[in-house]
Amino acid sequence: MERIFRINTIEMRDKVESSIFSKIGLMFFLVAFLLTGFSQSIFAQDVRELWKDGNEKYTQGQFTEALANYIKIEEAGYTSEALLYNIGNTYFKLKENGKAILYFERVLKLNPSNADASNNLALAKEYSLDKIEGVPEFILTTWIKDINYSLSSDMWSYISLFLFAAVAVLLLGFKFAYTSRLRKLSFFFGMVALLFGLISAAFAWDQRHNSGLKDSAIVMKLVSTVKSSPDISGKTLFILHEGTKVKLLEELGGWMRVELADGRQGWIISIDIEKI
Amino acid sequence: MKRVTIFKKLIVATALLFTGFAAAAQVSFSVDAPRVVGLDESFRIVFIANAEPSSFDPPTMQGFDILAGPTSSRMSSTQIINGKKSESFEVSYTYIVQPKSLGKFSVSSATAVINGKRYSTQPVTIEVVKGEGSSGGKSSSSQPAAGNVSSSDIFMRMSVSKGHVVKGEPLVATLKLYTKMPIAGFEGVKFPSFNGFWSQEIETPQNIEFVRENVGGVIYNAALLRRYMLMPQQTGTISIDPSEMICQVQVKAAQSSSGRSVFDDFFSDYQTVKKRISAPGIRVVVDPLPAGAPASFAGGVGEYRMEAKFSRDSVNANEAVSLIITITGSGNINLIESPKVDFPVDFEKYDVKISDKSNKSGSGASGSKVFEYPLIPRGAGVFSIPSVDFSYYDIQKKKYITLSSGELKLKVGRDAGGGGAVYGSSLPAGVNKQAVRSLSDDVRYIKIGASGLRKGNSMMFGSLVYIIALALIIAFYFVALRILSKRIEMNRDVAGVKNRKANKVAKARLKAAEGLMKQSLNTAFYEELHRALLGYASDKLTLALSDLSREKIRESLSAKKVNEELTNEFISLIDACEYARYAPDGGGVEMHSNYERAIKLISGLEV
Repeated sequence: MERIFRINTIEMRDKVESSIFSKIGLMFFLVAFLLTGFSQSIFAQDVRELWKDGNEKYTQGQFTEALANYIKIEEAGYTSEALLYNIGNTYFKLKENGKAILYFERVLKLNPSNADASNNLALAKEYSLDKIEGVPEFILTTWIKDINYSLSSDMWSYISLFLFAAVAVLLLGFKFAYTSRLRKLSFFFGMVALLFGLISAAFAWDQRHNSGLKDSAIVMKLVSTVKSSPDISGKTLFILHEGTKVKLLEELGGWMRVELADGRQGWIISIDIEKI
Repeated sequence: MKRVTIFKKLIVATALLFTGFAAAAQVSFSVDAPRVVGLDESFRIVFIANAEPSSFDPPTMQGFDILAGPTSSRMSSTQIINGKKSESFEVSYTYIVQPKSLGKFSVSSATAVINGKRYSTQPVTIEVVKGEGSSGGKSSSSQPAAGNVSSSDIFMRMSVSKGHVVKGEPLVATLKLYTKMPIAGFEGVKFPSFNGFWSQEIETPQNIEFVRENVGGVIYNAALLRRYMLMPQQTGTISIDPSEMICQVQVKAAQSSSGRSVFDDFFSDYQTVKKRISAPGIRVVVDPLPAGAPASFAGGVGEYRMEAKFSRDSVNANEAVSLIITITGSGNINLIESPKVDFPVDFEKYDVKISDKSNKSGSGASGSKVFEYPLIPRGAGVFSIPSVDFSYYDIQKKKYITLSSGELKLKVGRDAGGGGAVYGSSLPAGVNKQAVRSLSDDVRYIKIGASGLRKGNSMMFGSLVYIIALALIIAFYFVALRILSKRIEMNRDVAGVKNRKANKVAKARLKAAEGLMKQSLNTAFYEELHRALLGYASDKLTLALSDLSREKIRESLSAKKVNEELTNEFISLIDACEYARYAPDGGGVEMHSNYERAIKLISGLEV
């Protein structure tokens, strides 16, 4: 199925380029969608059962069983905000704080606007030992980030599409409006919509890009030492505890160069941390 | 008949019992006899009354030879201390007896009638052992030489009621002094510290009283020094430290003569010898409590009952009420903590009041402990408090037992104060508005609904759907652009261009009329207008000027499917022109309006 789908999409792209208006192309798209949708639903039956069962187990307080179900779904290659969020919650209930933080971070990576996940992450962080004062950010960056992270990537995508559609309509208005006043207004609003559309698209792209990055990790070990060089004999610079977030800089033979939020750097054994 | 007599006897017996109790405060009648005696020892049994008996009914003494008695003696004393006078009177009947054989013998109760009431003593059991006993009564032991007090003459012993217990199970440790010799005093007493136990002294006699006791067939004067209640707090073998003290033992001075006179006992030199004695330490094996303790277990060991109730079943809001939990039983009751109770959040709670009504006896503590939880419900309603659980380890059954109170219900009525009108506030006095408190933190609940599960990256941006949507928007733009352009083109041909053309034609035809209008030449203007209209009609309808009649014009116009309105307008305009040519001057305004009408009409016909 996957392969067919891929071939289809490649054909599709050709078609898109050659004759975007051709009805045959659109037909192909529809068929491709139906096929991909169908292929997913075959696996989905089993997964949906696991999901439902896991939620029931969680509700009954059987967290270990619930977690086993969720992990099975994850191992089958599926992912979603809800799944990662539930796994995080279950780990929290099982008092595995590092894992809980890891999963909440993963949810936020998928969707930085998930309020539940950020609430739970804040709570889980209360239980972690390390207190790190972050370097203050440029205020404008913070504002832009706040705006960006107030909606999910998908939301921004929809907004950008809507705005682009508005641009198209307004440009037509600019061309064909009866009065010059209307034409002027159309042009102005068209440009504004284009600007905001591009910004939305940039936000959507930024979130998507960030979610793909593997540039940060959570310390999984209760106590982990950070060395000055990537080997055991190196000087111990500082000690990190479970649940602390670090930025990954480079990797060298089973060691990772990490940076804390306050700018300190050092080398940590890769197995002590898990990438978000 | 027989039954009646039994009944009578019963009545008499109970009556006696009651009178006996009633008089017990004033009158006592008791017996004093040693518990243990040697076989060849003569000793005294004394019955003492603190009032003059009118008759004395002697007891029967089996197994004993009465050597003398009963000899009665009276003693009275009067004391005045700080002007307070106290009198005492004592009558004693003394027997001197000697056992006949080894074993245990009992001396039955003696009865005396005092002030017309009968009093009886308790029966006494006396054990006869094959001990060394001389005829010397109490100080019967053979006295060793001075300074040579052996450890068999005087020793201390610590004994415990149980040597094998579980953690928390109470046991009683008794420290006793055994001696054969008179003791003048103690010094440097060191009691054990009982490490690993929670300990409490339950008996600390002010006066040391010696009681005869049989230890391995030897008669000693034994005295209780201390009695402790111990509750092990650790597991394993816990040793109780040895206790020590220095005894001042009175020893007879070495005698020069071998002969012993009768007076020696009274007048011989006694010498005080210091003797260090110690009670050896003992070990207590403490087993841990078995695994699987219930959640409500807080260290209680023994046997208990629990009762939980509210001081009142129904209260009004803002009135005090308390939940009273009573735990009764035996065991380490004084170590029991207050059971945890989950009160509704709306209840104001105060510190638990604990009253311990347990008494420590030789077998550990027993009694009851009362926990009082004072509460003030702030809102009305029927509140149910989840079952209060109390768990303990039952030593006999060797398992944990959980007592539970069951759900407790409390009916809280509306505030009796009527709630309101207190200094204009809507809340009753003494109640303040309060912020909603966060009682605890927890993660928000999991997502239950749609899972939204997908494989791989499912983000909208950059996905096929997004690209298609974008492509569709662009496509829509171009399609719309094309369609609109085409349409405008068409509009331009049909309407715009034609319109402008028609307008031009009309203006051209009426050019001469316009010039005349500007010169305000009324008659000339209307003539010119009339000619222009007719000329236009003949051109348009391809009719000869001579053929032009109103009917003909109407006919031709309707044949060309021209609007009825326009046709009427055309006719009426021609009429207006013909009329105005001969009419007096209508003024520039009318001229102008007629000119406009004509332009409009021709443009309308042209389109």
